[in-house]
Amino acid sequence: MSENKYSATSGIQQEEPLLFEHAHEAPESINLPGVKGEVSSDLAAFKRKTPANIPGLSEPETVRHFVRLSQWNHGIETGFYPLGSCTMKYNPRVNEQIARLPGLAHVHPDQPEDSVQGMLGLLSELQGWLAEIAGFSDVTLQPAAGAHGELAGLMMIRKCLDARGEQNRKKVLVPDSAHGTNPASAALCGMYTVELKSGADGRIDLDELKKHLDDDVAALMMTNPNTAGTFETDIKEICQLVHDAGGLVYGDGANLNALVGVARPGDMGLDCLHINVHKTFSTPHGGGGPGAGPVAVNDTLKPFLPVPRIVENDGVFSIETEDEQSIGTILSTLGQSGVYMRANAYISAFGHNHIHQIAQDAVLNANYVLSKLKSVYHVPFEGLCKHECLLTDEWQNKHGVKTLDIAKRLIDLGFHPMTVYFPLIVHGAMLIEPTETESKETLDSFCDAMLEIAAQCEAGDTQALHDAPLKPIRRRLDETQAARKPVLVWEG
Amino acid sequence: MSVPTDLKFTKEHEWVRIEGDTATFGISDHAQEALGDIVFVELPEVGRSIDAGEAYGVVESVKAVSDTYAPVAGEVIEINEALESEADLVNSDPYGVGWIIKVKISDNNAETELMNPEEYTEFLDE
Amino acid sequence: MRYLPHTNTDRQAMLHDIGVNNIADLFADIPSEFHIELGSMNLPEGLSETGIVRKFTKAAEKNRHAGNTRCFLGGGTYHHFVPAVVDYVISRGEFLTAYTPYQPEIAQGTLQALFEYQTMIARLTGMEVSNASMYEAATATAEAALMARRVTRKTRTVIAGSVNPRYRTVTENYLSRLEGDFVEVGMGKFGTDLSKVIAEIDNKTACVIVQYPDFYGSVYDLAPLREACDAHKCLMVVAFSDVSAFGLIESPGAYGADIVVGSGQALGIPMAYGGPHLGVFTCKKKYLRQMPGRVCGLTTDADGKRGFVLTLSTREQHIRREKATSNICTNQGLMCTAAATYMTLMGDAGLATIAEHSAAALDLLVSKLPSHVVAASGAHYNETVLTFESGDKRDAFIAEARKQDIFAGIPLEKFEKNIEPKHLLVATTEMIEEDDVNELIAAMEVAA
Repeated sequence: MSENKYSATSGIQQEEPLLFEHAHEAPESINLPGVKGEVSSDLAAFKRKTPANIPGLSEPETVRHFVRLSQWNHGIETGFYPLGSCTMKYNPRVNEQIARLPGLAHVHPDQPEDSVQGMLGLLSELQGWLAEIAGFSDVTLQPAAGAHGELAGLMMIRKCLDARGEQNRKKVLVPDSAHGTNPASAALCGMYTVELKSGADGRIDLDELKKHLDDDVAALMMTNPNTAGTFETDIKEICQLVHDAGGLVYGDGANLNALVGVARPGDMGLDCLHINVHKTFSTPHGGGGPGAGPVAVNDTLKPFLPVPRIVENDGVFSIETEDEQSIGTILSTLGQSGVYMRANAYISAFGHNHIHQIAQDAVLNANYVLSKLKSVYHVPFEGLCKHECLLTDEWQNKHGVKTLDIAKRLIDLGFHPMTVYFPLIVHGAMLIEPTETESKETLDSFCDAMLEIAAQCEAGDTQALHDAPLKPIRRRLDETQAARKPVLVWEG
Repeated sequence: MSVPTDLKFTKEHEWVRIEGDTATFGISDHAQEALGDIVFVELPEVGRSIDAGEAYGVVESVKAVSDTYAPVAGEVIEINEALESEADLVNSDPYGVGWIIKVKISDNNAETELMNPEEYTEFLDE
Repeated sequence: MRYLPHTNTDRQAMLHDIGVNNIADLFADIPSEFHIELGSMNLPEGLSETGIVRKFTKAAEKNRHAGNTRCFLGGGTYHHFVPAVVDYVISRGEFLTAYTPYQPEIAQGTLQALFEYQTMIARLTGMEVSNASMYEAATATAEAALMARRVTRKTRTVIAGSVNPRYRTVTENYLSRLEGDFVEVGMGKFGTDLSKVIAEIDNKTACVIVQYPDFYGSVYDLAPLREACDAHKCLMVVAFSDVSAFGLIESPGAYGADIVVGSGQALGIPMAYGGPHLGVFTCKKKYLRQMPGRVCGLTTDADGKRGFVLTLSTREQHIRREKATSNICTNQGLMCTAAATYMTLMGDAGLATIAEHSAAALDLLVSKLPSHVVAASGAHYNETVLTFESGDKRDAFIAEARKQDIFAGIPLEKFEKNIEPKHLLVATTEMIEEDDVNELIAAMEVAA
């Protein structure tokens, strides 16, 4: 056993009760220079009869409580985070610094336009850059997340088809390897999905696609590279076939990191693409958001972009709020501007001279991991991968070891597990996405850990795998209990 | 688990026990096994009419979810309220206390294709 | 490029191990017609760290902001106090740079913070359960309408005209591709006339959506709505724009609301020109399985110790796909952590203080209004509509206030088309001091 090779060790982590369990009187209330006065008699009639029972802690206790909680987390700053399809890359600290500049952080969304020209300039600039990088003619920043972008994209497709007098087209083709958000978004647009069975190589099968192309087809939703991490080499023909049948092609940009600066989805025939800036452009994931899902569109869909929209005239920015052809508004504001400041800063740091290195190093890293692991883990689809590689637990199953055991063992060795059991088309899937910001040293260490786990399986020394994880503050958690008798709030 | 001989089965892994004009529905042992630990069963309202083959409820485990389809048409006359607090009865006794609903059969001709236990066992082996 | 750790020697060694000659070989599966010339993109040259700081500082200096002005702007976003501790906590890399807690053993920090957030936000809104947040208030309102359709299996939606026009627009947009009527009830005043709303409820109605305090800041008795909803078996959905209100006034839950949605931005989250903010979503426990979005639940680990996991995920898109309760995949996790930290710092007493200051500032403002400016009548929390003699007079006041670095309010026609342009939506918070109110009033008098 060579655990000392890896970074994980048994340091001190502190137990910390729920803040409701701190036996504590609420400390002195905060002191602010705001206006003092009795509540007016009109409003007094509506006063809360019982307090909400929010336990106040003093400032030092609050800090300690949340710092202790933070130490139970694994973040990209803590260690390797190879979650396939999630693009967990380093989040530059300067991006946090600039997003907190008061002139960007404390700006009200309804300030007069002349008082926010700097902000509008940065947003407009990012819009242009995203269009350039993705190869489209325009971009909306309104969608607050990838799935929200899907909704916006499908709404535009719907409106475009309606404008063509094709209200009857309601079928959305979705490969069986797609993200679950795809069919859910289609349903919200009043459309229905038909699943395309992937070909033997994990890619879209042209014959299968042709079978489903008819007068009902509204769109094909596809991810390229797909969720198996391989490029859809027939992309041009796929788009052509869908267009010939009268449908449009929606691109799920979850895997754009494989292409940044090297190739552009818009050049390949897609009609729109949502971009997960929290993946490709390194805005922090925050433990599950905030993200942002701007949508890039070609000339076909451009008339239908949501409002409000930023418009530039002679270097002066204004906001357009109405447009008859637009799909309308899908958020209270222009978008998650704070997230976009960080995305703008990430692209600013690379520029035209380095931007392609994002895709190059991301793809290099994924193929490097694949080359090191393919002799001991089953690879379902042969060949080079793009920015992520797909393995399965087939060879470890013989020893009674499953993907979940491998994942949990990685935790004990100091790594965040890869994405497990996705895509659904592969049994026991392990999807590994290293991203461009990981060093060779880290990749070597991770691969050593994976090789060691495989060797333990071969040697029948599997107890540590089934018991894992042992080192974190909590061991495997009982999900069945949580779902059977849901406790979502503290009743104490 | 042995398959009770008085049941009939559907390809969606539902079972039905027909006694006079009353039918009891549930999901098969194979189905509960495939779903894993069942955490929630969504039951229809008493009085609702269900067509044969119609989805009348939902069975959920931690990681999977499955609609339940009526083997025969009928009007719901009783639901297994015990499942509201103990969904795992479907795991522990799918053919007994883990039954899901009872209906008054409205149209015998509208049956979906039903299999006897031997046929169902063969179907599972395929 | 300093974010990329490889040396060229590393790259060569890795290419060798992969068994290819150069990087281009790794992209050979992309048809050559789609390869672009490297370095040819229409982007500026990459900036150094100091270059980035300079660029953004310069842009930021072109903006006026709440720190160097007095901000009386509301309409869904408010300049509240952001304690330094909140920003510190959410800057910690373990919270900031973690993904969704899909591996709970190494995400207990995020999960416990979510559980604490859910508990506190449920208590503040007076509801039984909460999810782990939505994007923001407008989409949360739309999701509430969709949820009501699932719960009631009915398709008609009734919404009061005094709900924030942006929440109404987004909700209508979400529902427009689905079957069923969407009924907006005109109020005819800057407040809520519940009798008009109630008159529109029928047996086909899935839910009725009101806002409390409403878009105009008006506070009113919700009790009659509960009775009307019971009579027609429809859900009572209450939206809000500024959650700080519930530190002072009765919660929507106390009036029996079925679903409560709104903006939690007031809980330590900067305005940031529209986001990221926090969409609050709370409801009655009996509707839990139809609630959209992620939720965190309590459980135990293999050693029997208490822990937390994301739960009820079968409702969500990655399992239920087209039948999911929502297409939502992300929440605003970091903003939940911010809100949890904020509420912990404040407690009941602090939340009450914040709300009292906010309301007192509006009272002071209204009490000092010159005779040519009229405020909407009735109980208001921290926002109201001021009506001027004419549009010109209002605009002269706005301009005069700007000279004093005061953002006086939002012209109401920015939200509501076809309204005479002489109204101003004005909001106050604990960040407004007595002198600020005095200067605003002085500008009003100068411009009169």
